[in-house]
Amino acid sequence: MKKRLLSWEGLLLAAFATIFAFNAISLPQFLTIPNQINMFQLSIEKVIVVLVMAFVIINAEIDLSVGSMMGLSACAFGWLFQQGVDPVVAIGLCLLIGVLGGAVNGLFVAWVGLPSLVVTLAALIGFRGLARVLVEDRGITDFPDWFDALGQQGLIGPMTFAMISFFTLLVVAWIILEKSAFGRHTYVIGSNRDVAEFAGINTKRHKLIIFVATGLVSAFAGLLYAARVGAVRGDVANGFELDIITIVLLGGASIFGGSGTLVSTGLAILIVLNLRNGMALHNVTGHIQTGVIGFLLIASVLVPRLDLLRRITKKSKGQE
Amino acid sequence: MTKPTLALRSVSKMFGMTAALTGMSLELFPGEVHAIVGENGAGKSTMIKIMTGIYQPTSGHVEIDGAEVSLHGSKAARLHGVAAIYQEPMVFPDLDVAENIFISASRGLWLDRKATRRQAAELMAHIGMKLDVDRVASGLTLAEQQAVEIARALSQNVRVLIMDEPTASLSAHEAAELRRVARRLADQGVAVLYISHRLEEVFELADRVSVIRDGEHISTNLIADTTPQQMIAEMVGREVGNYFTKMASTTTDEVLLSVRDLAVKGVFEGISFDLRRGEILAMAGLIGARRTDVGLALFGITPATEGEVRFKGRPLKPRSAQDAIRAGIAYVSEDRRKLGLAMELPVLWNMTLATLATFLRGPGLVDTGAERRMAEDFRKRLNIRTPDVDIAVGKLSGGNQQKVMLAKWLNMNPELLIIDEPTRGIDIGAKAEVHDLIRGFAARGGAVLIISSDLPEVLALGDRILVMREGRQMAIVNHDAADQQRIMALAMGQEKAA
Repeated sequence: MKKRLLSWEGLLLAAFATIFAFNAISLPQFLTIPNQINMFQLSIEKVIVVLVMAFVIINAEIDLSVGSMMGLSACAFGWLFQQGVDPVVAIGLCLLIGVLGGAVNGLFVAWVGLPSLVVTLAALIGFRGLARVLVEDRGITDFPDWFDALGQQGLIGPMTFAMISFFTLLVVAWIILEKSAFGRHTYVIGSNRDVAEFAGINTKRHKLIIFVATGLVSAFAGLLYAARVGAVRGDVANGFELDIITIVLLGGASIFGGSGTLVSTGLAILIVLNLRNGMALHNVTGHIQTGVIGFLLIASVLVPRLDLLRRITKKSKGQE
Repeated sequence: MTKPTLALRSVSKMFGMTAALTGMSLELFPGEVHAIVGENGAGKSTMIKIMTGIYQPTSGHVEIDGAEVSLHGSKAARLHGVAAIYQEPMVFPDLDVAENIFISASRGLWLDRKATRRQAAELMAHIGMKLDVDRVASGLTLAEQQAVEIARALSQNVRVLIMDEPTASLSAHEAAELRRVARRLADQGVAVLYISHRLEEVFELADRVSVIRDGEHISTNLIADTTPQQMIAEMVGREVGNYFTKMASTTTDEVLLSVRDLAVKGVFEGISFDLRRGEILAMAGLIGARRTDVGLALFGITPATEGEVRFKGRPLKPRSAQDAIRAGIAYVSEDRRKLGLAMELPVLWNMTLATLATFLRGPGLVDTGAERRMAEDFRKRLNIRTPDVDIAVGKLSGGNQQKVMLAKWLNMNPELLIIDEPTRGIDIGAKAEVHDLIRGFAARGGAVLIISSDLPEVLALGDRILVMREGRQMAIVNHDAADQQRIMALAMGQEKAA
């Protein structure tokens, strides 16, 4: 397993180096600090959610509702703000919505035993519906300056609050996944839930915690989006779940659970960001950008499959 | 002299630089049951795959009726009349017996139900099984499913039937039934190649037996010319002394576990026994006797609905595996793949599956140093053969996987060890090692509850033997008073409890 992941990491590293070098050579403005900051800024909410989605997928689950939760959180903030609720209180309520939404997902998946694909698909529709009911199609804007600044203004040098949050969460997520008992259990449960259950691991609680964390972080990311754009609408973060899942799969996590690392997920983030940034600076149109990202998704699902196929044939040949 | 139906002539098979078979020669004659014994990894599977056309030999060749043939693919092998059945029968659960038998028969667009049923019934009669051909396969026992597979092979005019550990998952009664079918086929002129880890079965059934080791042919003997001890010595290349003999009991006076009238409604009832420190209690019975369910109830997976359990003198009502583990009970499952090990995760991680909480430092962080020291320690103590503890446990042989499972539970220092089928599907060398480990655990004051369908194992390990039949406790027999016939008779309801 280790070797396979290492080779996947090597592949990702090579891909990243190629894209980075191509951008650096062909685009004089690429390596400037404003461009690098901008590159991260434009996708910062997605890549924050990628960090928790990695846990979900390694745990052999899926959460399709993250984009809708981002939208719901942002819209709830806008609506509460409009109703005259203190923005700080509104932020707290939005995060609470994230926790509750994640808990609903987690309870249905872990206790009722429904497939997460179905549960979170329902949540995708439900959360989005709520968001649209709250805000409809008109935008809500004119948030307090300090709120907008969270997503727009450099806090440490040119790094915004959102970016600092991402890097902090990256370190925290890495420690939890790679170093802690919780992370170990994430792999074990994802690899074989019955084995985990028989080893006395509380798999229900574990799954609940992961879904709650995903809801919470998605709600947080939704607020960051509202702050960065300075406005919310019912369709905020629509379809983001696809980009988020794509990055996690590109990072080598198996959709069947039990494998994946945050290092390669980090590499996958860098690849997607650099690719988008390079294409944008080369004036590649949005449609083609989407096409290229789609190709990446196919590659990220297909290449491990080829590897899997090779392993299966090897197994049937070499096994006694 | 008759020609062998199938023969291997100096067959070698290389995988890269590794030789799986070296100069293997073997002759299968019509009408014989030819047993193959060898440790896991000896090359049995490779040999079968060459005979069934899945692999091609690197050198040497296969002969059918004295003529050299090249078997490319399993279809070619079937055309030559070579078929194989395995431990896990391949039947289609939603189809009935007749449909399963004729699954690959192409007979035009419409299936003649009547003719199919009649022919299926004839085949069943032919192999001597009473089986309604209209029954749906999912409702059949494993042995019946295997009979369906054999009938399927017969429908394709099988001349060489390879049976790869067909009885490994069967109860003693079902295994006997299957052996009867094998014998009957041989009597009708089929060459039967029979692979088994159960030596007593080999001696009961086979005409000749070949031992293979490390991909090489070691010996072929008439069954009358060899003994179990000799065969084991040839298989492992060394003497294994105590596999069949019972060691002195280490039972103490201190009752650790006391079970009274334990029941899970609708599953089993009336289970009562005391288990002392240092004692090994073996649960014997046929498949379906519900022994595993008793183990699962004690381990809290399916909590008991009635009865009383006292552990260390205090009442114990485990509602989950966590409860049982906290109390000091470990449960080694019979199903390594589904319930025992996370196959794609490293050996190291599997060893600490149940005990990770004892390898922590700081806020929930894993102390990988201490974890690794424990793993290396157990790797040495249990003689686990693996290049390192970081490779996926699924890559180890069955015997070594079993030892990893034991390490996983022994490192929690349990007081009661429940082991379900401790040596299923592992080779005889590893079997002896596992038995030694179990005895050692008991000798150090642990109590062991073993669930085993392997009667020699039950007799070799159990200080006392609890026999179950259809969810009821038939008797507890002291080791001195136990022999295979007595246990079998109780398990089959032929003898009343003493």
